[in-house]
Amino acid sequence: MFQVNRAYPYIFYLSLAIYLFSVFWGLFLTPEDFVQGNSYRIIYLHVPASFISQSLYLAMAIASAVYLIWKVKLSVYLVRSIAPIGAMTTFIALISGSIWGIPTWGTWWVWDARIVSTLILFIMYLGLISLHDSFNNNEKADKFLSILVLVGSVNIPIIKMSVEWWSTLHQPASVTISEKPAIDLVMLYPLFGSIIGFTGLVTCLVILSSKLQILKREKNKSWVNDYV
Amino acid sequence: MTMFDLQFNTFSEALLMQSQNGQNHGIYVWLVILIVTLCLSICFLFYRIKIKEISKKIK
Repeated sequence: MFQVNRAYPYIFYLSLAIYLFSVFWGLFLTPEDFVQGNSYRIIYLHVPASFISQSLYLAMAIASAVYLIWKVKLSVYLVRSIAPIGAMTTFIALISGSIWGIPTWGTWWVWDARIVSTLILFIMYLGLISLHDSFNNNEKADKFLSILVLVGSVNIPIIKMSVEWWSTLHQPASVTISEKPAIDLVMLYPLFGSIIGFTGLVTCLVILSSKLQILKREKNKSWVNDYV
Repeated sequence: MTMFDLQFNTFSEALLMQSQNGQNHGIYVWLVILIVTLCLSICFLFYRIKIKEISKKIK
């Protein structure tokens, strides 16, 4: 925790600088999209949030598996710490997508596979937080939380593949590992920057949230008294 | 097409973000920026306050 504390300000300020610069670049220095007009600039806020909301769930699933197999306490603290941050990023992804939908699709909501699976992800995050907090016994709560996170991870490939498996209003991914990006490089570079910057900021939030979780759960231990 | 080409000449142009089809998209873009800024700021503040509170209690 001491080393993370020392690295925290560097991660925070570097990520903030990258994020602000990339969003500024995307908002004011990239050309208008010939189909969507200027509304496409929401991509620099929507895509990082959407990418992180799914990545955080994957991180939670890995940490849950670690807890269930090796009983590493810290990993379940991490799961509980990530859940509210995941809910926040999914909320941003849903809201920004809905706002983007108004000028682009003519509606803020459609019962489309990508959007519904993302809504399910948001509900899952909230459900996991409420479930964990509803238990009096921490060990039981940790076990149930880990199992449910693993069960819920089936939704992640569904979100990812929804635009391929079903006919959706949501556009397919503009950037894939195997194919040439469908987006011009002038627009792509700031998008990468905003994803990196947002990932760094969310990492900082996860560090803070984990710190809070550790302090809450270990408050009766002597090392915590020495630490604070 | 250069990498850094300022797209808006005045502050009001940047605010309105009028597209070639005549529609102003600024309201949508700025609303999203406001929401993202609020969400991130509230989260950072919340955790900072909570950590301070619990640290005081432990002390």
